[in-house]
Amino acid sequence: MKVISILKPYRVQIAVALFLMLVELAVELLQPLLIARIIDNGIMKKDLGVVMVWGGVMIGLSLCAFAAGVSNSFYASHVSQNYGYNLRKELFTKIQAFSFENFNQFPATSLITRMTNDVTQMQNTVFMSLRVMLRAPLLIIGGLVMSFIIDARLAIFIAVAVPVLFVFLMWVMKKGGALFKSVQENLDRVNGVMRENLSGIRIIKAFLRSRHEVKRFTEANRKLKSNTAFALRLMESTNPILLLVMNIAILCVLWFGSVQVNTGGGKIGDLVAVINYSTRITSTFSIFSWIIMAFSRAKASGSRISDVLNTEVDLVAPVDSVITRPDFKGEIEFQGVSFHYPGTKKQVLKDISFKAEPGETVAVMGATGSGKSSLFQLIPRLYDVDEGKILLDGMDISRLKLEHLRNAIGLVPQEALLFTGTVKENITWGKENATEEEIKISAENSQIAETIASLPKQYETRIGQKGVNLSGGQKQRLSIARALVRKPKILLLDDSTSALDLKTEGKLLGALKHYPSTILIITQKIATAMEADKILLIENGMLLMEGKHEDLLLRSSLYQQIFQSQFGEESLKHAKGFE
Amino acid sequence: MLKALSEPFRHKRAIVQKVAAQAAVPKRKKEKAKDWRRTLPRIWSYLAREKGRLWLVLLMVVLSSILGLLGPFLIGKAIDNYIVTKDNSGLLRLLAGLLAIYILNSAALWFQNYWMIGIAQNTVFSMRTQLFRHLHKLPIPFFDQRQYGEIMSRVINDIENVSSTLNSSVIQIISSVLTLLGTVGFMLWLSPLLTAVTLIIVPIMFVGMRWITSRTGRLFKEQQRNLGELNGYIEETVSGQRIVKAFCQEERVIAELLDKNDKLKESGFWAQTYSGFIPKLMNVLNNLSFALIAGAGGVLALNGVVTIGTIVVFAEYSRQFTRPLNDLSNQYNTLLSAVAGAERVFEVLDEEEETKDEEGNEELAGVRGEIEFKEVSFSYEEGGNTVNHISFHASPGETVALVGPTGAGKTTIINLLSRFYDAKRGSILVDGREIKGIKRESLREHMGFVLQDPFLFEGTIMENIRFGRLDASDDDVMKAAKEANAHSFITKLANGYGTIVEQDGSGISQGEKQLLSIARAILANPVILVLDEATSSIDTITEMKIQEALHRLMIGKTSFIIAHRLNTVQKADQILVLKNGEILERGSHDDLLKQKGFYFELYNSQLQREIG
Repeated sequence: MKVISILKPYRVQIAVALFLMLVELAVELLQPLLIARIIDNGIMKKDLGVVMVWGGVMIGLSLCAFAAGVSNSFYASHVSQNYGYNLRKELFTKIQAFSFENFNQFPATSLITRMTNDVTQMQNTVFMSLRVMLRAPLLIIGGLVMSFIIDARLAIFIAVAVPVLFVFLMWVMKKGGALFKSVQENLDRVNGVMRENLSGIRIIKAFLRSRHEVKRFTEANRKLKSNTAFALRLMESTNPILLLVMNIAILCVLWFGSVQVNTGGGKIGDLVAVINYSTRITSTFSIFSWIIMAFSRAKASGSRISDVLNTEVDLVAPVDSVITRPDFKGEIEFQGVSFHYPGTKKQVLKDISFKAEPGETVAVMGATGSGKSSLFQLIPRLYDVDEGKILLDGMDISRLKLEHLRNAIGLVPQEALLFTGTVKENITWGKENATEEEIKISAENSQIAETIASLPKQYETRIGQKGVNLSGGQKQRLSIARALVRKPKILLLDDSTSALDLKTEGKLLGALKHYPSTILIITQKIATAMEADKILLIENGMLLMEGKHEDLLLRSSLYQQIFQSQFGEESLKHAKGFE
Repeated sequence: MLKALSEPFRHKRAIVQKVAAQAAVPKRKKEKAKDWRRTLPRIWSYLAREKGRLWLVLLMVVLSSILGLLGPFLIGKAIDNYIVTKDNSGLLRLLAGLLAIYILNSAALWFQNYWMIGIAQNTVFSMRTQLFRHLHKLPIPFFDQRQYGEIMSRVINDIENVSSTLNSSVIQIISSVLTLLGTVGFMLWLSPLLTAVTLIIVPIMFVGMRWITSRTGRLFKEQQRNLGELNGYIEETVSGQRIVKAFCQEERVIAELLDKNDKLKESGFWAQTYSGFIPKLMNVLNNLSFALIAGAGGVLALNGVVTIGTIVVFAEYSRQFTRPLNDLSNQYNTLLSAVAGAERVFEVLDEEEETKDEEGNEELAGVRGEIEFKEVSFSYEEGGNTVNHISFHASPGETVALVGPTGAGKTTIINLLSRFYDAKRGSILVDGREIKGIKRESLREHMGFVLQDPFLFEGTIMENIRFGRLDASDDDVMKAAKEANAHSFITKLANGYGTIVEQDGSGISQGEKQLLSIARAILANPVILVLDEATSSIDTITEMKIQEALHRLMIGKTSFIIAHRLNTVQKADQILVLKNGEILERGSHDDLLKQKGFYFELYNSQLQREIG
């Protein structure tokens, strides 16, 4: 797995960390042995010197182990932090190279989770692996081995108990995993009802449905309660059972140990040591389940991350003959363009052809799902067409350098997406080296300058997280400013004025006329469309009609209906009469 | 162990919630409770309902703590009294006793958990239900003044916090304390001298821990901040990927990410390294005390002060001794955050309920739907919209359109009419009766609402429409859907009326949601109708359907419309033009146009371009 190979450059540090951990472990495993020496050779033989020497050795070893542990902390932390860093870097770089087809495979929220929680998860697992995770199984095995070295006949009892408990533990974990999954579903349900109720509280109050909702909630809550209790009780049973089994093993050790001591075949110190090993094993068992959990989580995280890293980036390398031409006039032509989203069957655009002259404003109208936004996404090549061609200044856009193409375009998406940072940073997002003058002009033209002036620190005001919250309309205007500052040859407005009142929108559209840009604007409002040089009426992915407002008003019944719904019957008569 | 097992699920849950709630549930790190003295008794008042079982749990905890201590002690006895002296029958008796103790110990452990889980789950159940009920009784201003994410966080995270603490921490804390006291007691009784030797490590431990935590606290805060910043950046850029690509900014965002990534690595390294010292410190102290017991114990044994058995017992106890200390410091933090969580839940429970209907408030029956506002004034406490001296009269069946810029007070008037808020001055009359004297429920029973953001809950389409009138038959629902122009799109869905609406309402467009909410209102068939037209852009075809359906819905009802579409306004019997909380102009569409005032201006800004 690629997730693991990222660790490669840190082989040496990993080896050192593991070695240091083994030192620690060795000390811990030696201690019961040493205490046996003290008892058998010191106390039983009344030899003070032996007690002092071995006692001193034990203290010395403890300090060694401490030194090893502390150094281990450095190495483990170094490895894991670098690992996390590199993993994030790989992922993010990969994601930046993604085409939009790739993005369709992973919803944004899932990508974010992979980059945040999953990476942290992996990083912690690496850290813990280098410190305790390997230690627990090694301690159990080591403890067993040591017991066998000291007294094989006594060690047998522990050797029987450990695998039995291990299997038992695995069984409970598996069972528990399934149970907790259903608990999770129950909890999601409870929280879901809660969420619905919070967002719909006005309607619920208005329709007097509180009692109904409380009943729904209580049902879900009750189910959650009983399932949680059941799952937890199962999990909590493991500890008492584990203890009981190990304790019984210890009893056996005691009994047979004393028999051996009686017959002269065993030493008390050895007996004490074996008992000490078994209690150490017992307490290690209790973190075992935690380790299994952590590993299975890491495995899941790892494969989620691998999914991303192994994704093949399938766009958008331009074909061989690249035309290098950073400057355009802005003439756009669609020639028989058809398109469907990768992984779906439905054709969202069928045989679309139209032409927009440089500096023209083209309005695009149509129902939701008719394909307007898809049409927009093809122009900066966020997706590639299936059939037909899109030409910019007569050149096929798939042969242009992607960077040049996109730099000529100012896209304002439907949902105004701003980034955390100052107002200025958000505007200059469109053009890093924009001058103060350019920023001001684009803010004025997008009708946001007044709002900015009223902010506490004007252009330096922070927005987004920990900053000022802007209204929907303000966000829209700011994202228009971001596009305008680039003085784009092509301006794509994807219904980006929906939250503006008519007056502001009018001013905005007026200001746009001074830009030497070809403007394509998706809109639902006739009032906006009327301003355009040309209106495209799209239905079910096909270009239904093309023309000026007056044309469409006469020729298209759909357009008439829309007009009527927005302005009323009388206006329609009035408007037609005017013609 | 329990914690270890349920933790991953909580982790996953956290992601699910975050993703679903979107409205960033604020993460709180171990916040401290403000008022322990008030919060603890209240938590107790929940637990007190389970007094009987709680005593049983306590009994079991005491029992298991004692039995847990008795085990090693008896092993020591076995070595001293029977193995060293080779007394087999005595040993056998003692081992039988030990077996009984072990069985009892495990049983006590099992039962204490069994009962405690029951108590915890019952407590959390009643807390949740109570909270939910209470939320329904809270007045609308409560919801308007708070962020949705914040309430969600209380309801979900804080209660979860309480739940997991009750499940495991309570028992752990009690048993840690008991074990600690018991261990020290036993050790003192066995050999004060050797105890003193063992306890040497305690001050070292405290000093060491202090040294470490004084560094990690700051480092962790910094790491957390850097991580938050980095994750925030990732979230933003990934969800804004379209913009990043369209503006060709890939390299720039990568560079910025690496910068933040670097910072995180730096602070993370030290935080992790230092915090990694803690278990190492506990280990070395364990080992040291073990060595001390062996060495000093050996010396003492040679002098006949202690026996070998005592050394064995001490060796076991010393390990039981550092663990509870460690546990306690961990559990203390969990407990703190749980109390803080409980306090935040109680804060919601303490919010005042919607004022109870006054004594003698009457039912409303046989309403005609005549509405009158007399000199009504109102202001929200914290700024916001204000309305002043609003007076108007609507006859039964009339349509009143409210027009004006954002913040003019349109929504406020609707809020007052439905008694989501109560007017500060003036009076509102329905059929000539003051609405303050009418029961809220009874008033709203006669009102129907179609709001901007239609509330759909997870369930079938059928259930969602039936929400308007719970006793409606399937046929009634379908009839309403037909009238609302919703029938045709519903039947096109895979499962028709049985289609499940997802929690986030996906799969159904905004416009279609509107149609469903109109169907709901048609089914409810109220006398007074409140409409808040959607501003968000709905495609033109659906928009036409909505207009048509609304038109049908409004027939014969007194309707109040917050209007954004000229078409709706033109058809209204009466238009109230609002600005800054006052009625600026009123009259029919034609009247107002003749006045050539504010309305004229508004109207023309939509039409002028056509004429000009």
